[in-house]
Amino acid sequence: MKLTRLTAGLALASGVALGALTAPQALAGPDTNILNVGIAAPDAGRLDPHLSATTIDKAVFGWMFNGLVRFKPGTASPETIEPDLAESWTASDDGLVWTFNLRKGVQCHHGYGELTAEDVVYSLNRAADKERSSFSSDFGVFASVEAPDTHTVKITLKNPVPSLLGLVTNYHGGNVVCKKAAEEMGADFQKRPIGTGPFMFGEYTPQQSLKLVANPDYFRGKPALAGINYQYIPSDSARDLAFQSGELDMVYGKQDQTWAERTKKMDGAVVHVMEPAEMSVMYLNMASAPLDDIRVRRAIAMATNRDQFMEFKGRDVTRVANSPVPQGYLGHADMSEVFPGYDLAGAKALLAEAGHPDGITLKVIHTALPGMLGTMEVFQAQMAEAGIKLDIEVVEHATFHAQIRKDLSQVVHYSAARFPVADTYLTQFYHSASTVNTPTGITNFAHCAVADAEIEAARVEQDPAKQKALWKTAQEKIAAELCGVPIYENLQIWATRDNVDLGYDLIGSLTLGPPVTETTQFRK
Amino acid sequence: MLRFTARRLLFAVPTLLAVMTMVFVLVRIVPGDPAQTILGDQASAEALQIMRERLGLDRPIWEQYLEFMGGVFTGDWGQSMVTGKPVLDEILRVLPYTVELTIASLVIGSLIGIPLGAWSALHRNQWIDYLTRVGSLLGLSFPAFVSAILLLIAFSIQLRWFPVISGGGRATFSEWALSLALPAINLGLIMAAYITRVTRSSMLGSLGEDYIRTARAKGVPMRVIVWRHAMRNALIPVVTVVGLYLGILIGNSVLTEIVFNRPGLGKLIVGALGQRDYTLLQGLMVIYTFVIVVVNLMTDLTYGLIDPRVKYQ
Repeated sequence: MKLTRLTAGLALASGVALGALTAPQALAGPDTNILNVGIAAPDAGRLDPHLSATTIDKAVFGWMFNGLVRFKPGTASPETIEPDLAESWTASDDGLVWTFNLRKGVQCHHGYGELTAEDVVYSLNRAADKERSSFSSDFGVFASVEAPDTHTVKITLKNPVPSLLGLVTNYHGGNVVCKKAAEEMGADFQKRPIGTGPFMFGEYTPQQSLKLVANPDYFRGKPALAGINYQYIPSDSARDLAFQSGELDMVYGKQDQTWAERTKKMDGAVVHVMEPAEMSVMYLNMASAPLDDIRVRRAIAMATNRDQFMEFKGRDVTRVANSPVPQGYLGHADMSEVFPGYDLAGAKALLAEAGHPDGITLKVIHTALPGMLGTMEVFQAQMAEAGIKLDIEVVEHATFHAQIRKDLSQVVHYSAARFPVADTYLTQFYHSASTVNTPTGITNFAHCAVADAEIEAARVEQDPAKQKALWKTAQEKIAAELCGVPIYENLQIWATRDNVDLGYDLIGSLTLGPPVTETTQFRK
Repeated sequence: MLRFTARRLLFAVPTLLAVMTMVFVLVRIVPGDPAQTILGDQASAEALQIMRERLGLDRPIWEQYLEFMGGVFTGDWGQSMVTGKPVLDEILRVLPYTVELTIASLVIGSLIGIPLGAWSALHRNQWIDYLTRVGSLLGLSFPAFVSAILLLIAFSIQLRWFPVISGGGRATFSEWALSLALPAINLGLIMAAYITRVTRSSMLGSLGEDYIRTARAKGVPMRVIVWRHAMRNALIPVVTVVGLYLGILIGNSVLTEIVFNRPGLGKLIVGALGQRDYTLLQGLMVIYTFVIVVVNLMTDLTYGLIDPRVKYQ
């Protein structure tokens, strides 16, 4: 073999390749009028708004779909709910029958025709069907959904719910899909989801990107942007570098003080800190000794130094948690007075009184996710000072989720944001029916069961003031019982280039991603 | 040679069967529930149960096993549990990206490594030799993800020659070359480090042989001695090492693909692992095993090309 010739050939080939590298850079967002967004994920999940509940997909659904009503763009409070597909609505006095009057002339994407009451009925029934929806349990209270005429939808409930409007917002099962498209495509709907929102499905490249194009017939007017290029970039450093180089106009941020500070200093970058917060709570398994003794749980709460956590997590991106329900949720009540304050000596004394003068050891299973693990390590150090030893077994994230649901961890560190009505948090984390390792189990890791009556009563209470009072009592009882120790609330962080004008004030977003609406544009 | 190839491929069958069984068992031993990752942490126990049934995870384990084994041989690799797309399609879609990256880095590695190794051997214990040895040691000990980020900072942020998100575009030749260049250089440099070291020591060995001295005594030009006599004989160990390190290259390509956000088997497998996508993981492991078997076979066959004395029986 003539090695020299081979080498020469290869050299020539690579020379050609290098020559090609003088090609121009990919065009940045403002030049193409396409918003480039980077998200921390390897790939999309199932692109069907009734199936996927992951952070990765939710933001996109918010750009593509409408609900009967919506959260005012940039807010995440149920008090800002405003008309979306429905122009107006009425409720019967008992709160059981709701009638929505639809907006006329709303067009489904890609020529699927005008949206009528039939589509809404189909969509809500689909969301309630456990075979086709992950949110079916939310709609268990629906007795019927009917269309008296082409632009009226009537929902009849089995019993009143805390927030019917919350169920029909542009979120989870409330996203309205177009019937003709969904029936035509069946299970393939996720390959080309059809809604009525400002942006419509363009092209999906697995593990790369989802391209959305502006919906020219959007009922609030044609979007100012030509489209959105939503890119899946799992590597934090690659995402940050791409944002720095201007290849991304909007980027998912790390919930981390150093990230926020570093990005703020970057030229032309704007950091957005928004609701809803994910609350970090240490749930204490009251079904296991010695946590069945309230004095031990109280000692743990007294040994917790929240200020230190704030120093650790950073005050720009976190705030102190003060209740079993996160702040900003409808019905949240401040329980700072009920939870014991930081008192190390008191904690030790209480442990001794409970018969553990030499301290205790608790078994903890924890995820290896760095953001969460750091918090647990600080907690471990704080507990150690009071003589409470935490035996932490660090496992991979999916393993963590499986094992804490089998009651294997005495202290469960869980961080979550939910639909911002007190009921969701109270039900999922503190109602006895949600106790883990039971057939109806969700995320009640503490085996908490002190406020079932109030939680259930509040669910059907029609008088908002009385409802809030019931929720407050529930929070008082849960705080007094110390089912868990709330630590801090982590806000959502995104960054945009300073030439991106979102078109509204960004205070919060339930989809956990900034809404991109018809008014979002690049500043000239 | 044909018989040799056929026999070697036949030997691969039990290996594949064993790996498939191990993979099947292992992915299921690891705790974590695919239904939970698909539906999210708010899903009720009932919804999870329905999803498990839909995924076929509620059926007896031996039934799932037989279906998987049968499927692999009939070409039906099942559907990805997360995306619902056929596993084989998912793999075949990204396979070309990994193959082109591997080949490109192998080419870069050889182009740098072989001449550098030979050069280093010819200048044994001179400063150029020391420099090469230190450089290759550095290449060996550098984690692929660190060098990847350094390359990005230098060439994409500072110099702005390449986009950060290469994305594996292949619409035009320049787009293709742009997206392949940095990842291939990253892996190629690591590969070059290995090849340089092996070539150097192997060249030193053959330069000390009697026939080299004889050739010199006969007045054969140095160029011919080095390239025709010494290099040809020194190449066998180099080929062995290249074959072996292709496995390492595939491992490093996992990290490289993630940092450069390039589609490929590595990125696919990390995603599948995090989401407990059993079917996709199984399919990927079969492919990886197959690739390693084929690479080993190709290495053996290459010996014959370099050294006519090698016979295949």
